[in-house]
Amino acid sequence: MKSWTRREFGRLTGAALLTALNQPKARGQAKARVVVVGGGIGGATVAKYLASSATAVDVTLVEPRQSYTTCFFSNLYLAGLRPFESLGHGYEALARQYGITVIHESAAAIHPAAKTVALNNGSKLSYDRLVVAPGITFRDRALEGYDDAAMEIMPHAWNAGPQSKLLRRQLESMEDGGLFLIVVPPDPFRCPPAPYERASLVASYCQHSKPKAKILILDAKDKFNAQDVFQDAWNRHYPGMIEWLPAQFTGGVTAVDPKTRSVITAGATFKAAVTNVVPAQMAGRLAQQAGLTDQSGWCPVDPVTFESALQPGIHLVGDAIIGGDMPKSAFCANSQAKACAFAIAADLAGSARFPAHLFNTCYTYLAPDDAFSNAISFKPVDGKLKSVISFVSKVEESSEVRRQAARAAEGWYDAFTHDVFG
Amino acid sequence: MRPVARSAIATGLVLLVSQSGATAEADQGAQLAATCASCHRLDGGGTGIPSIIGLGEERLTNALLAYRASESSNHIMHAIALSLSDEEIASVARYVAKQGSNPR
Ligand SMILES: Cc1cc2nc3c(=O)[nH]c(=O)nc-3n(C[C@H](O)[C@H](O)[C@H](O)COP(=O)(O)OP(=O)(O)OC[C@H]3O[C@@H](n4cnc5c(N)ncnc54)[C@H](O)[C@@H]3O)c2cc1C
Repeated sequence: MKSWTRREFGRLTGAALLTALNQPKARGQAKARVVVVGGGIGGATVAKYLASSATAVDVTLVEPRQSYTTCFFSNLYLAGLRPFESLGHGYEALARQYGITVIHESAAAIHPAAKTVALNNGSKLSYDRLVVAPGITFRDRALEGYDDAAMEIMPHAWNAGPQSKLLRRQLESMEDGGLFLIVVPPDPFRCPPAPYERASLVASYCQHSKPKAKILILDAKDKFNAQDVFQDAWNRHYPGMIEWLPAQFTGGVTAVDPKTRSVITAGATFKAAVTNVVPAQMAGRLAQQAGLTDQSGWCPVDPVTFESALQPGIHLVGDAIIGGDMPKSAFCANSQAKACAFAIAADLAGSARFPAHLFNTCYTYLAPDDAFSNAISFKPVDGKLKSVISFVSKVEESSEVRRQAARAAEGWYDAFTHDVFG
Repeated sequence: MRPVARSAIATGLVLLVSQSGATAEADQGAQLAATCASCHRLDGGGTGIPSIIGLGEERLTNALLAYRASESSNHIMHAIALSLSDEEIASVARYVAKQGSNPR
């Protein structure tokens, strides 16, 4: 780079001066340390994009599990359409190809004043910037009787892993004519269309294996997204098999009884062969403990940088945040993570930031060869993430278009998991 | 007529700005291409979703402009393209076109 004399400096315009001053700053500094807690979709994406950015950053990823199991496509596993192993993704590529230090531990506490993260094994990590992406946890006492022991009898399968296997075993051993009950929580929760996708794919499995089975959905809401598309598909593929009861009919689920596998609403008690209870949710425990959540139980953030509105220097992405119009989906977590990584990198380098593009694209299965899709783009407006452009599949789409979407979904899974885990 | 010294500085300035302009353009292209990578593998692999590697800048630009103009062929790409300015389309097309010759 040209070295400027004092006189030349004096003549530079403001903008050019900024550019000239910023470049040596980025080069002269020691590598900034960024710690990312949570190696799920949001956290792994932030780590990867920071590690591959033009800014030199030292990235450490803290994640207790050796392998991540995707929730997306776990409904296909539940219906016997995909092996469990195909949902697993390791961290080797992030470590080897991208030079990320991956530590398989849980973060126990965050100390914002000291800028350190304490791990469960007693060690401490210092950071210049911290990114927290802990996903969700379940609200205590949201449903009377639904505790840790009850989860082993009436699984949620809303974090993929052993819970998914448990629910699959229960479905497989259900007798023909049995009732499969799904309890849907109040908004906001992880992946709004997933309970209805689950009902669709369980029905598709039962149609072959247990044709007399029934699926009942007890909803905490009175309507849901793409309801017309789902209900049209249920009538076409599984006539009479799936019943959906909105909160206005039942008064909502208030309690469960694991001993009888029953679900209690204001007006009635429902007993089922398999009961899949998806409880009400909030941001992951660590976010609660670190003071990153507000009264809602979720984390308020700046919609451009994803920096916490409560703790400066700490960024949050994924299901844990108050996402405005952005749903709690893997696609959104990935999209937010990229915006966050580029914002942090630009900040550390003192370089210009480009307007981020935030999207959600979702493929939802109605049957193994019938999927629909939606696409939404978002922009920060008055401090909130607002949906600006939105398209969703229509009821009258041809079966060929739906078949193509089901095939595209497979391709999406491959490309997307490659984007996140390398 | 301008004094010589001033025009020399002026040239220097233009150089500085255009250099950082080129880097900025590449940075913007990389950032936009990150969006593509959520569905399209940038190493050219993958099935089910068409590859965008090896198409060349012009085809990519034309495809994005066509997606922006109409919803009919694909509403996902329509939503994405609608959110891009002409300048952004040019810079993402240029960046993605370069990935083909240099797969990672
Ligand atoms: C049935 C189902 C189907 C779905 N289908 C789709 C779909 O088709 N498309 C889509 O886009 N989304 C889908 N989703 C939603 C998607 O899975 C989530 O939105 C996504 O995983 C959110 O990413 P995240 O990074 O916020 O959280 P997660 O992916 O859950 O990651 C959080 C990570 O943080 C780690 N962690 C937590 N606490 C700590 C700690 N203290 N220290 C260290 N690490 C910690 C956890 O181990 C975990 O790995 C689906 C969800 C479900 C349940």
